[in-house]
Amino acid sequence: MSDNAARRLSRMFYRISIAIEAGKDHLSDLDGAIGDADHGITMSLGFMAVNAELAKLNLDETLPSEVFAVAASAFLDAVGASTGPLYATAFRRAAQALKKDECLSLADQAAIVEAMTTGIKERGKGQRGDKTMLDAWVPATEAAVNARARAAGGAEMWNSILAAAEAGANSTRSMVAARGRAARLGERSLGHMDPGAASAVIILRAMKDTFDEGEREKAVPR
Amino acid sequence: MTVKTLSARKNGTARAEAGTEPIPLRYGDDPYVWACWLYYEDHMTQGDIAEIMGISRATVNSYLADARARGIVNISLEPSRLSSLSIAQELKRHFGLHDCLVVPSDDNTRPLIDRLGGAAAQALAKLLKSGDTLAVAWGRTVLAIAEQASVPGLQDVTVVQATGGTAANFAYTPELCASAMAGAISARLVNITAPAVVSTAEIRDMLLRETLIESQFDALAKANKALFGISSLRPNSTIHTSGFFESVSLQQYLARNAVGVVAGRFIDGQGHPVAGPLDDRTIGISLDMLRAIGLRIAVAGGFDKVPAILAALRGGYVNVLITDAATGRGILNADGVTELDQKLSQRPKIDHRATLPSNFRTHIKKFLNDPNDVVEEMLDGVVKAHAAYLRPIKGSHRALVARTGPRPGKVGLVIGGGTGHEPCFLGYVGKGLADAVAVGNIFSSPPPGTILQCANAASGGQGVLFVYGNYAGDVMNFDMAAEMAAEHNIEVRTVVTTDDIASSPLEDREGRRGVAGNFFMFKVAGAACDRGLSLDACEAATRKANARTFTMGVALEPCSLPQTRRHNFEIGPDDIEIGMGIHGERGVIRDKMMTADEITDRVMDRIFSEMQAAPGDRVAVLVNSFGATPLMELYILFRRVEQRLSAKDIKIEANWVGHYCTSLDMVGASISVLHLDNELMELLHHPCDTAVLRIG
Repeated sequence: MSDNAARRLSRMFYRISIAIEAGKDHLSDLDGAIGDADHGITMSLGFMAVNAELAKLNLDETLPSEVFAVAASAFLDAVGASTGPLYATAFRRAAQALKKDECLSLADQAAIVEAMTTGIKERGKGQRGDKTMLDAWVPATEAAVNARARAAGGAEMWNSILAAAEAGANSTRSMVAARGRAARLGERSLGHMDPGAASAVIILRAMKDTFDEGEREKAVPR
Repeated sequence: MTVKTLSARKNGTARAEAGTEPIPLRYGDDPYVWACWLYYEDHMTQGDIAEIMGISRATVNSYLADARARGIVNISLEPSRLSSLSIAQELKRHFGLHDCLVVPSDDNTRPLIDRLGGAAAQALAKLLKSGDTLAVAWGRTVLAIAEQASVPGLQDVTVVQATGGTAANFAYTPELCASAMAGAISARLVNITAPAVVSTAEIRDMLLRETLIESQFDALAKANKALFGISSLRPNSTIHTSGFFESVSLQQYLARNAVGVVAGRFIDGQGHPVAGPLDDRTIGISLDMLRAIGLRIAVAGGFDKVPAILAALRGGYVNVLITDAATGRGILNADGVTELDQKLSQRPKIDHRATLPSNFRTHIKKFLNDPNDVVEEMLDGVVKAHAAYLRPIKGSHRALVARTGPRPGKVGLVIGGGTGHEPCFLGYVGKGLADAVAVGNIFSSPPPGTILQCANAASGGQGVLFVYGNYAGDVMNFDMAAEMAAEHNIEVRTVVTTDDIASSPLEDREGRRGVAGNFFMFKVAGAACDRGLSLDACEAATRKANARTFTMGVALEPCSLPQTRRHNFEIGPDDIEIGMGIHGERGVIRDKMMTADEITDRVMDRIFSEMQAAPGDRVAVLVNSFGATPLMELYILFRRVEQRLSAKDIKIEANWVGHYCTSLDMVGASISVLHLDNELMELLHHPCDTAVLRIG
């Protein structure tokens, strides 16, 4: 079985699904504090659907961009809600970014993070400081861009991405929500971490683990 | 051991009677070890241990629980079973299966087919329900299941042979498999009394037109569950040895990359049907028919079958897989999921016991089968219960269209949102109201694809109006659907409802959420559409209704999701949440419990401050339960609402009291007031006929 880029991405989604599943109750509890307590369930449902759709692909003949495109529609159709359009748009932007050279170089990995963030921003019309998933995604992207600028290695890049996302998610505790259902709570949303930011960290950690693993094996052809 | 137990008990009893005794030295100073020894080694009951140790039974129970948490006692499962279990979990996750059962690796005592048969027979006892129609395919595995199955106590179950029959001289013919299964579960048997493969396509078509065979296929089309094996195309497979298919034809399928056979149909490695000479000559269930069946149970094992099973999984023909550990692992390997650390899939243990008192209720009781199926099962019920008003669009229960609603020349009205609000939103679909409804998961917006289906179904060429509550998720999904509809040349206008006056200050009226007042917006919009007004006029009337509808809700107890069966958060014993929405999210302010009249006054004062009604004005009133508040209390609220309105000389033109927009099992209610003018009054009284609202 040859390892290729599509297979690595499929493994990435699989890892995300497992990690989200493991954190499902925690995410729902976070959501219960300021939202409607279903964030863990929704995210788990979405990534399960992504897995099921990816399992139907012949990964030996699938381009990395196609993996993201399939993930986008599977996630959207299964979830709806607000996370559906947000992550579906994120995956679609990542697919477009990968179409340039269809490989998973470090530059592409950084581009995936950046494109996903762009997609979420566009769809949600949100920004940093709104107490949303963007408070994890935006700093993660900045870290990725910085790491590329200083030509950091894969491990260093992903460490800085994850650290930035974690710090960003933690910072949502002291924010008042500006978007989503939590926005109607006003200052009652203070002190709670945004569940969307928390799940963003889980996703980025699973991405890091997947690409770190690839880094160790090195030189993976498409 | 017996002697020891007896003496321990005797001593213990004596001690207990004498009062509190120190723990005997041989257990050290540790009551946990003592309790565990008596429980796990001496097999005593917790009651006996309590007596011996001179403590309460509850303490024994907590000692035993803590001992496990602290690692004093380790319970280990037989490893081969455990690995089967984790393989099953992986398979289930990877392929998005409904369920998966993996029998432990071969212990060489019984043939694999028997062991699979036994496992499947047990699983059937769990999967089959009274009233089911089970399509049964044929093969060695299927027969092994039938031979070992015994499901007593089922009523009105039908077994339908999934393919035509065969004259072949083997024990596991389609007829025999179906009849053995019918016998095992005491079901009515419907055979397909035609050959599985006939000599020409003309003969097949003629046979299918025969009334008898047609009725047998009607029975097959009613199947809600299917049981089948998966055959490989390797030389020693059933397909070859049975002589069921002509070997010439088999070669042609192989040449076209067929890797397996499901219910008599050939599929390739990706699960796509492989076209071949037998297709037009085969009488039996088609792959599309199979895929449309709700529960599709495949039982197959053996390493040679891995590619065939993988293909069947990829093709979506299976949603319950019963296999063995080696095969299961092989399937995962073949699909590239070997490298994953098994530990990853194990959920971190969270010990809830430590913080909860022993009498704490961890679960709310609900009428459920599988909590993951609540939406689908509810919609099944809805579609049957309200068949007179609505029907699924293209078979999807997530997109429902009014039977008499959409018509050429009329603006189509599409509403929708998450579930958990019943009778919102599907109860308002019908003549004179909404033309189609898009249904999401619990408290979650439906996806754009579903909404687009509704727009297409509702469109009569004059444009479509979307009316839904103002939530970030709904706005994104409906907006995406509106963009897609524009590509289909359907003009869409959107009115986002914002009647919840508690959710945002007046300056931010557009940021408010839409709650039970939707009822009025839907009614007005539906009437405007039904009267044949233009898209502009329909939109304007609905916007006016939204601007003149004021709602505020109060919750006494939170709701609980079917998946968690826990309250999302707690409302203290003497507290209430004011400004409650309809998604179980917290209210805007928490206050102390008050009398019904005080609560109503709080709400009405707020409504009056925004409504600006003059004496003599007319209003419509909706007193709505959030789910668990009974009518008795709603009438008490309504009584006070009426008193407050009449004191201001405001006339109630129409009122509704009951469950109109709920939030699962939340205890609480909302009050909505629509400030009428002549146009709104006319539209409110316009006839409509839906499952929950009929006027005229």
